[in-house]
Amino acid sequence: MESAALPAGAAPAHEAEHEHHGPPEANRSSRVDPQLLGMLLFIISEIMLFAAFFTAYFFIRVVLDAPWPAEGDQLPIETGIANSFILFSSSGTMHWALESARRGNRLGLKLGLLTTLLLGATFLGVQINEYVFLSFGPADSAQGTIFYGLTGLHGAHVAVGLLLLSFATVRAFRGHFSREEHRGVEVPGIYWHFVDIAWVFVFSSLYLLSSQGIL
Amino acid sequence: MTLAAKLTGPGWWRAALSLPIGFLFGAGLVTGVRALQGIEPAIDGEAITTTSLLVVPMAFLMGIGCFDYWFRWGSGAPTVPEDHSGHGARTWHDYFRVNTDHKVIGIQYIVTTFVFFILGGLMAMVVRAELAAPGSQLVDANTYNGLFSVHASLMIFLFVIPAFSGIANYVIPLMIGAPDMAFPRLNALSYWMLPVAGVMMAASFFAPGGAFATGWTAYAPLSTETPLGQNFFTIGVQFAGASSIATALNFLVTIITMRAPGLTFFRMPLLVWANFTTSLLVVIATPFIAGSQFFVLLDRALGMNFFNEGNGGDVLMYQHVFWFYSHPAVYIMMLPGFGIVSEIVSTHARKPVFGYRMMAFSLMAIVLLGFTVWAHHMFVSGMATWLRVPMMLTTMLIAVPTGIKIFSWLATLWRGVIHLRTPLLFALGFITMFVLGGISGIMLAVIPVVVHVSDTYFVVAHIHYVLFGGSVFTIFAGIYHWFPKMTGRMYNERLGKIHFWLSFVFFNLTFGPMHLVGIDGMPRRVADYAEQFATLNAVISVSSFFFGLSFLVFLFNMIMSWRRGSQADANPWRAHTLEWQVSSPPPLFNFDRIPTVVGGPYEYGVPGAVHGTFEERPEKIAPQRGERVGATTP
Repeated sequence: MESAALPAGAAPAHEAEHEHHGPPEANRSSRVDPQLLGMLLFIISEIMLFAAFFTAYFFIRVVLDAPWPAEGDQLPIETGIANSFILFSSSGTMHWALESARRGNRLGLKLGLLTTLLLGATFLGVQINEYVFLSFGPADSAQGTIFYGLTGLHGAHVAVGLLLLSFATVRAFRGHFSREEHRGVEVPGIYWHFVDIAWVFVFSSLYLLSSQGIL
Repeated sequence: MTLAAKLTGPGWWRAALSLPIGFLFGAGLVTGVRALQGIEPAIDGEAITTTSLLVVPMAFLMGIGCFDYWFRWGSGAPTVPEDHSGHGARTWHDYFRVNTDHKVIGIQYIVTTFVFFILGGLMAMVVRAELAAPGSQLVDANTYNGLFSVHASLMIFLFVIPAFSGIANYVIPLMIGAPDMAFPRLNALSYWMLPVAGVMMAASFFAPGGAFATGWTAYAPLSTETPLGQNFFTIGVQFAGASSIATALNFLVTIITMRAPGLTFFRMPLLVWANFTTSLLVVIATPFIAGSQFFVLLDRALGMNFFNEGNGGDVLMYQHVFWFYSHPAVYIMMLPGFGIVSEIVSTHARKPVFGYRMMAFSLMAIVLLGFTVWAHHMFVSGMATWLRVPMMLTTMLIAVPTGIKIFSWLATLWRGVIHLRTPLLFALGFITMFVLGGISGIMLAVIPVVVHVSDTYFVVAHIHYVLFGGSVFTIFAGIYHWFPKMTGRMYNERLGKIHFWLSFVFFNLTFGPMHLVGIDGMPRRVADYAEQFATLNAVISVSSFFFGLSFLVFLFNMIMSWRRGSQADANPWRAHTLEWQVSSPPPLFNFDRIPTVVGGPYEYGVPGAVHGTFEERPEKIAPQRGERVGATTP
């Protein structure tokens, strides 16, 4: 066993060789793509970060039984619904971009990514505009704090998603990605879908489940 | 190299340049925003410092070169074929730059964490000097509060957690037969965020108002009202947390996707299992401490009301969110140690691990139960009373899987051929001390007891028995065990044994009496104490100084052995796991050819047993029916 167990690289004579050839091909012990798995695990972490903020929401709203929104405050429900549709449709265009990449349709890939970027940026712009015109600020009440905290956390994730997507877009326009190799679209795409799904929860609990909401 | 090339290429020159640029950018940004918003005064020292704490470290990480490849990738430039120039260490300079080799990163981690260990240890020495007699000795009460707070934060976030990451970084890819981690550049980034966090926490002493003085727990609303130093903790923890999440994610992907052929989950060494489960805990729990510190930061910097009772905030929420991370963190600081001890006990007692599968399952059980016990830190906090008894029961329940592990180690030692070398001594020291810490832990789970001893030295004794007698002893054990593999040299066995006995004896003399003064009611986290505790505190302080000195034996041994120790064989302990089947230190890319695993990792004493082989076509790869994976009949 001992002789078989010692690799050739252990002998000094072979050291020079090591400098030239790269590492041995790693064994693939799972069918899951490492990049994909890494992104999924990262999303678990992100879900838990949202969960921490939702815990704060739970303590203010349920444990302390605070009115929602705080008395005298107005939530722009209609704008919020319109903005939500903008964000949700960007998930569709993201899917379109990825499917185009899978089929080798470069034009669809570029257009899909560009539309997604545009829709995402619009969402973020509307959100910032909402902040400017809201009747309450983050320091006014605990409800305001939670509102700005959760929407701000989500907004930061939209911004990170846009950054990742802009990487993918630039690469798409510079001729990268093919029918076989499109992880650079797929992985940020998964993150983008996560950001959209997170909005479902943020939007429902902050806007729809309120005294002015429709739920 | 010209100066221009030095300043544009990754490295310390560019990092040094990026620091003032980052500072100016951050200061300009915050001043501009304040001016636009009409906040008076526009130029505000606290606001600039807080922004700098976020921006300057990012600028440093960019300057040193952590993001170079990703920027290149993101800008759509054609990717360079990997020339492996950032991989491996040819001279000592390579340890001081962004390096993608998991072996280099492992050493970087271990050395960095021991630097912060020394720093935190010195703070503990000052704390003990202050407590040597009643009244005020050396420092005022505020500095004292800062000292124990920074001591605990450094020990937890900059020593115990990352020291385990360091050992695992070095060993795990070798153990599973992989050429490196799954994401080497992310691995480098994880490492470089660590010194950032540590320097930030230690630098808090220079902040106006002194270091953060709220303990490592930073309870609100105390932490939302203390001076600027608190921000150094709040933001430092974010960097340490991001580092540990990224590393954990990396471990999980590496272990899932890069195992050698034939290395099924139930053939993995228990250290791999331990880090797999720890990484699950980190990925799931760490965002909660990030959240809790975001809340504190938002309250402090933007005047939000998460914990402002007057505006409808909820103070108790801080403790729920904080402990939902920080209780699992206790297991993050212990499970990798369990793995190390399993390796060492089995190897140095020449016996298969008793009940291998139960060892793996008990790790999973600890992960699951670890999320159900957080509120046992809050029995006297005024939380909902109905939560108390369920939390007491789950806390007692979690002692069961831990007990399984203790008995398994004892059964592994039973009738083994015990080689009482330093790693095994530390492992045995760990088992005894951890049992004592576990017993006081069970006492602390019982509500009537904890109501009496909460916030006394009994709690201090308990956490030092589980974290020093537990975690740190396993770190020492692991360092001694893998020292020959990491450095290619043997440590001095005699000095190792002296180190063990000195630290074992003085550890008990330091922390043992704390149980007594704690039960008598001496409060923790106070610079002064009543006359009645004077005698025992004098004993504790004197012992603690000897305890501190015992570390010098370790330091001397490590430095001298690394420089002049005798050459180590590839496999000085005759272990079966894969990391011992390559040279010491291992070749640049770990393996020439990926090995094939054909059996369990601990088949000591089984004639002809092999764990991994480098043969081209080994006869059997798949586990055979009835294969003895770590099973043993004494």
